[in-house]
Amino acid sequence: MNSDIKYADMRSAYGNTLVELGSVNKDIVCVGSDTTDSLKTKKFGDKFPERFFNIGIAEANLVSIAAGLAIGGKIAFASTYAAFLPGRCLDQIRNTICYPDLNVKLVVSHAGLTVGPDGASHQQIEDLSIMRSIPNMKVITPSDAVAVPKLIKNIVETQGPFYMRLARPSSEVIYDENDSDFKIGQGNILRDGSDMTIISCGLMVYKSLQAANNLKKDYGISCRVIDCYSIKPIDRNMIIKAAKETGSIITVEEHNYIGGLGSAVAEVCCDEYPCHVKRIGIMDTFGESARDSELDLLLEKYGLSEKEIERNVLNLTRIINGNLS
Amino acid sequence: MKFGMRYLDLREKVRQVRINAIKGISEAGSGHPGASFSAAEIMGVLYFRILKHNPLDPEWSERDYFINSKGHSAPGYYATLAVAGYFPTEEMKDLRKLGSRLQGHPVMYSKYLENHSLPGVEFSAGSEGIGLSVSIGLSLANIINNRNNYVYVLLGDGETNEGQVWEAAMTAPKYKLDKLIAFLDRNSIQQDGFTEDVMPLNPVRDKWLAFNWNVIEINGHKLEQIMEALNKANQVKDKPTIIIANTIKGNGIKHMANNPKWHGKAPNPKQLPLLLEELVGDYMIAPSIIAGKKENYEEKIKKAERAGADIIHLDVMDGKFVPNRTFLADTIKKLRPITNLPFDAHLMIEKPHLYIDDYIDAACDIITIHTETCNKEQFMLIRDKVLSNGISLGIAINPESNIPSWIIPFLNSIDVIIVMSVHPGFSGQKFIPEITSKIASLNKFLQIQGFKGYIEADGGIDASTVQQVYDAGARILVAGSAVFSNNDINSAIIQLRHKTNVTLERNLLRKADENNIRKDWLIARKHILIPLANELGIEGELNEL
Repeated sequence: MNSDIKYADMRSAYGNTLVELGSVNKDIVCVGSDTTDSLKTKKFGDKFPERFFNIGIAEANLVSIAAGLAIGGKIAFASTYAAFLPGRCLDQIRNTICYPDLNVKLVVSHAGLTVGPDGASHQQIEDLSIMRSIPNMKVITPSDAVAVPKLIKNIVETQGPFYMRLARPSSEVIYDENDSDFKIGQGNILRDGSDMTIISCGLMVYKSLQAANNLKKDYGISCRVIDCYSIKPIDRNMIIKAAKETGSIITVEEHNYIGGLGSAVAEVCCDEYPCHVKRIGIMDTFGESARDSELDLLLEKYGLSEKEIERNVLNLTRIINGNLS
Repeated sequence: MKFGMRYLDLREKVRQVRINAIKGISEAGSGHPGASFSAAEIMGVLYFRILKHNPLDPEWSERDYFINSKGHSAPGYYATLAVAGYFPTEEMKDLRKLGSRLQGHPVMYSKYLENHSLPGVEFSAGSEGIGLSVSIGLSLANIINNRNNYVYVLLGDGETNEGQVWEAAMTAPKYKLDKLIAFLDRNSIQQDGFTEDVMPLNPVRDKWLAFNWNVIEINGHKLEQIMEALNKANQVKDKPTIIIANTIKGNGIKHMANNPKWHGKAPNPKQLPLLLEELVGDYMIAPSIIAGKKENYEEKIKKAERAGADIIHLDVMDGKFVPNRTFLADTIKKLRPITNLPFDAHLMIEKPHLYIDDYIDAACDIITIHTETCNKEQFMLIRDKVLSNGISLGIAINPESNIPSWIIPFLNSIDVIIVMSVHPGFSGQKFIPEITSKIASLNKFLQIQGFKGYIEADGGIDASTVQQVYDAGARILVAGSAVFSNNDINSAIIQLRHKTNVTLERNLLRKADENNIRKDWLIARKHILIPLANELGIEGELNEL
């Protein structure tokens, strides 16, 4: 690990924020599913036992109880591993939570491949696709631990169901504590550029920034980098503007390349400003176990490395230039 | 007033639920009559008697919640809400129609869905097995909010195939949710057939006991049993209650009852008038315990209950208004603990306004006074006391009397009118034949007046006379000697029912002819008609089908 870089973990940020918000807003309640230690929601339970319910390994029950709490006027956070909510509880999320637009916040961790050692059964790589296809559901993917509290505050203030996906490992801190410009339905331009735009989410944002640095340094290619933390609603204006100004877009996500961020960006471009969109993601395959020390190797094996981003940018540049000449 | 349920009014409202549900389903051409009918009494008792709610202010913060987990009972649920006053019953015709608020399955009301949902609907159902978990969440929210309110949830038995139900079943006792009361609509039929064939649930009671619930098992079509179960559930602390309500899917329309084919099928709209006629034809057998051998009332009540009596008729005679003397309120009070069957107290006493408190105190469910025994002021006093105690009010008229004109403005507070078909005072008298036409013309008059109550025929009703009074419009049939002079009370009641059913079926066949659907009707109704074919004279016709 590079000693200049600060690392922090999104789950702790989530747990701490919940306690902080919960002491002000008495309507916040939290439901857990035998993973409360891991999700760091246990802290909330220790502080507010009367507003905390651990209902065991029963996810369908978990999200439905959260729905009931929301019907009873509460802002209900339901949390467990990403692997066990979007697929297993799709029916309950769709019919019981989203259809009546209930105030349930599904905050999950261990999304993507970086679950690591637990293997493919626990590597949730379809959730963005599943969740964003449900009417009323909003989908958020913070890119670091600093963004988490800011976005949690946002989702508390915004009525309706949310799906927020967090990563398991400690990750590089991208934002400054003073950065405050997080809004549902917006993205953040983290680095401006004119040749191409890289739109990413979650842990891939840091890798995209690294790749952009290298591309500028090694090839003089100027890449705009957007943290698209709000997958749904998505920042259409920012995407269209990027398409117009930089001509082409590369998306990067720790998710199947079908149906996630890349698809969402491509949909906007198709509708509004057709341009070249290259999607980087897991190529419609399952992952595998890797030890914590091997997480970067795991990502690389499934096409999610800085080098892969750089390679794609160069490739796309060649294609575009080739087409032009 | 054992439970303050104003029995006859409640029964009539539940009938209105069935009528409105079947009209909606028939109009829509699809929907689930079976589930709507099996749960009609459960939802009726909740909405018309138990729930703390306000149809004019559905989001009233002090309300109890009703979560309908078996969303396919939507037509019955909507009809219940309509009869309770949440929306006009005429809107039932829009069931399942494009742009309707009456969606195929209930949708939780919210501003954003106001064109697709009804105020008062608390939960979006349709996907099975979820409602119990949601009810737990609601109960927890109530606890956090220091609210004492109840959460009632209706579960279908088929939907308890879902594993989530058992996740929830484990959870509710953990949180000691004693304000959570579940009903299991145990009609034993699901879409593909009988529950015990598709996925056996028995021993269902033991399962819920093992999950640490307070379990009460009842006949889910008996209003008094539902009331009693809820009463008991209220007294249990630190445990959720499940009321296993044994029901008959499609109960109310004989050929739909207990028939998996009618789980999710709409009737042919041409048959609708007949179905309504059948629902309106619902009747009660009310054995009168003064008949037969003197005394031994307890024994008679128990026997009558076992034989399937609907209510118990109590002839109270003071030896003044009528020459005979039977028993007074103190005896009724002693008899009350024997049964939950509604007590239909027929006061043949002078000055009933002086004694009315005793009969209220004795926990009668229906109290009927003779119009010959009171004036308007005394009647109003009696009416106010009876109704405010949740008791059905009745008036009785002797063979030579008619209802006095001063009573007409009060008809909407009267649940039953007893038309004496003998001179009151002695059991075992012969039926006065002229009474039949008296009932018929009274019935016509009452219908014009919009009377929602029942006509009760009392005196000399037996297998030979029951058909004519039923045909004339009597729907409570008091049977004294016909039942208790018989050694076999069971078969005496069965015979009365049989005779009445023949009359009902004959009327339905006449209506079928009027609507040119005789053959369709015979086909749909065949299994019901076979045992009655001889008396109806349709044996040959049925054989040819």
